[in-house]
Amino acid sequence: MIKGSDTAQRPTAALAVAVIAALVCAAPILAVALIALSDGSVDYLVHLAQTRLPTYLWNSFLVGVISALGAGAIGTGLGWLIARTEFPGRKIFSWILILPLAIPAYVAAYAWLDLSQAGGPLNALTFGLFPTVRGSLGAGLMFALVLYPYVYLLARNAFAGQSADAYDAARTLGASPFQAFRSTALPMARPAIAAGMALVVMESLADYGTVSHLGAQTLSIGLIRAWSGAGSLLDAARLSLILVAIALIVFGLERLQRRRMRSHAASGRHRPPQRFRLSRMHGAAALTACLAPLILGMLLPLGRLVWRALHAPVADGLFDAVQHSLLVATISAVIAAILGLSTAYALRSKGFIPVAAARLAGLGYAVPGAVAAVGVIAMLSGIQSVLDPTWRSLTGAVFPILLTGSAAALIFAYLSRFAAAAISPAETALSRVTPNLEGAARTLGSHGFDLLRRVHWPLIAAGVTSAALLVFVEVLKELPATMILRPFNFDTLAVIAHNYASDERLGEAAAPALLIALTALIPMIFVARYLSRNTSGDE
Amino acid sequence: MKALATIFAGALVLAACSQAPESASTGSDTAAEETTRVVNVYSSRHYASDRAIYAAFTEETGIEVNLIEAGGDQLIERVRADGERSPADVLITVDAARLYRADEAGLFAPTDFASMVPGIAEHLIHPDGHWVSLAKRARVIAYARDRVDPSTISNYEDLTAPEWEGRICIRSSGNVYNQSLLAAIIERSGEEAAEAWATGINANMARAPQGGDTDQLRGIAAGECDVAIVNQYYYGSLARSDDAANNAVAEAVGLIFPNQEMGGTHVNVSGAGVAVNAPHPEEAQQLIAFFLGEFGQRAFAELTNEFPVIEGSEYDNPVLEAMLPFVEDDVDMGVLGENNATAQRVFDRVGWP
Repeated sequence: MIKGSDTAQRPTAALAVAVIAALVCAAPILAVALIALSDGSVDYLVHLAQTRLPTYLWNSFLVGVISALGAGAIGTGLGWLIARTEFPGRKIFSWILILPLAIPAYVAAYAWLDLSQAGGPLNALTFGLFPTVRGSLGAGLMFALVLYPYVYLLARNAFAGQSADAYDAARTLGASPFQAFRSTALPMARPAIAAGMALVVMESLADYGTVSHLGAQTLSIGLIRAWSGAGSLLDAARLSLILVAIALIVFGLERLQRRRMRSHAASGRHRPPQRFRLSRMHGAAALTACLAPLILGMLLPLGRLVWRALHAPVADGLFDAVQHSLLVATISAVIAAILGLSTAYALRSKGFIPVAAARLAGLGYAVPGAVAAVGVIAMLSGIQSVLDPTWRSLTGAVFPILLTGSAAALIFAYLSRFAAAAISPAETALSRVTPNLEGAARTLGSHGFDLLRRVHWPLIAAGVTSAALLVFVEVLKELPATMILRPFNFDTLAVIAHNYASDERLGEAAAPALLIALTALIPMIFVARYLSRNTSGDE
Repeated sequence: MKALATIFAGALVLAACSQAPESASTGSDTAAEETTRVVNVYSSRHYASDRAIYAAFTEETGIEVNLIEAGGDQLIERVRADGERSPADVLITVDAARLYRADEAGLFAPTDFASMVPGIAEHLIHPDGHWVSLAKRARVIAYARDRVDPSTISNYEDLTAPEWEGRICIRSSGNVYNQSLLAAIIERSGEEAAEAWATGINANMARAPQGGDTDQLRGIAAGECDVAIVNQYYYGSLARSDDAANNAVAEAVGLIFPNQEMGGTHVNVSGAGVAVNAPHPEEAQQLIAFFLGEFGQRAFAELTNEFPVIEGSEYDNPVLEAMLPFVEDDVDMGVLGENNATAQRVFDRVGWP
């Protein structure tokens, strides 16, 4: 690292933001932990250990592994095709492939079960041969189909950004394209792929709606049952600590991966890779590979919903809901991107505090939204109670309800859950700004803000906007925290879709679900265009 | 970056154009609130019928309804955590267990519902007026018209017989309607008999539980199972749907209201109470009275296929009317809540997924 006067200042500011990010993300989890430890009785946990706990753990394991491997395979394969090959339609697919992320997994699950269960069209067309999408396998596949864009986005940027030297050398030495891919490009992209897969695992494990509808007995089912069935929020909080522990392990593994790979990625000279043109037959295969996840993850489920929607009345309040969704998603995405980028900057110092802050921030992703939302409520109402005595002595009344019940609480909850999603992409992006490069820029007289704007930003813009986009889409889809923390009369698209779907009115749920996809689509088109300008030199 | 900025700016403009809904909800009593009366509703019901009722209520009384809809447990937690500063006036739940739990948490203020609706049955109202039922749903046995002779089934208990092995569709035990049904069986026959029942049903399932009640009805129509245990309003929703495919499912299915001579068919309720720290208790009572009035009861019956709790309520819904009369289990709704945790443990022990 080159130590200059402005580098010394920049990490301080970034460090402060990183610590804030960590606090925002970790505070609700800490509140949940406090709830979990607030009582010593272990009666219910003993009961659970004797009955269902092994089933819950096994199914969570299955869902996690299937979703990670599925999303990993789809995302990496597509990332490679888009970043390093040329075939008809490649440019369009480069952004369309992100779209399944706009489909909430529970919506895909509702549609797929509807399509594939006995009496459904897929079942009928195949004379009962098409298996019903259900259980842990079905849930894992649903997550893989709608969450693979995490891996795809990160892998594509990694493939496009890596130097082609090693790959070309391997090819020159007689390796087949696949061998060269496996031995050079893949290892170099592995940190990015692992970061994407870690997000997929976390999101799958914390999900409730999908596994509940498909009958997969995961740990999140167990903890919601502890709460809703047995009436014990305490035990639900305790079970969610298991999920937090799993999250720590997954993120730990991801970091380990990243550290081991650092030597591979360190390439002094950067020669951007060229796309090789696929033959007509290979091009057709690539086209099919791109279409398959789109059809399975998006077109088929949405098509089923449209078909159902045609037979149902249109839901009220959709226009307001679009505005509400856009508002909270935009604000959250911008703040999350700032938090993520600052944390990534702070992480460059490799100091204890920023590293600890980043780990803490990652935890927000691990806890099911319903429980995390309780953490937010507990924390905010705790703050309000602390203010009560002072306020009472001044005005004679309790502190007014400013925190809970406002849109601020909602945005806070979104950030605590999704800011972590912005850290990894930002970090990956920032790894492209090498010390050598920075040194060169300094030598040429670029400092401070000018250095950030002219050297850093062009290199990291793609990664950071991807990060913001991920958070934007996450917030659009988010349900449990939105349900419980929103202000009066504040329906979002996800809320409306859920209300109808949970009432088993798929037709009415279809329109808002389609609007979630469309709402995500608009910024995505802008961002995707911007990204492909920046990452691939298409101009 | 320019593109991104455009989107963000666009979103902000859009948002600014919409009326900021949170401004009406901060709960602080401003001058504006004195001229417009409001009632703050926390509801775990989210049906079209309720929206119609709120609109009619506002039209009739001039009282604006502020609404938050979320799951019962989450609403309870939010009201509980907000304590004295909670803006909630009315808390509405979609099942008896949540009413009980909210009451246990001390969230309801006693209200004289009994004189508001003198006709209401005793088991549908809290003895001290902490809550009152708004609408009823019955958990019934659905059967395949072409494969099952309905005269062979009279009770929930009949379905545990070996002849039903591999023939029952029912949803997961995480569902509160199954929990309440088991809670009622625990009350009537004791925990041991209830466990035997759950074991028997679990052994006779045609498939591992998946989907909601409607999916169980579809399972019958598709021939995957011969009987199912479902809430009767899902049948009503299919039968009265505009979609011919849904009508066909309903036509393939018949309903049995079980236990007519053995304690009655299990019913669950949606219910409401006035929040203990309600800033607008008078408006809260007015709204609940409206729910229990002619318009409210009719809306439940016609728009959500639920049974009115007020005897003699008039409505136009032939599908619902055809289900009457039946003997309902008159176990106190509070008991369903009390037994809920036990029911969950029984389900855990027998391994009902």
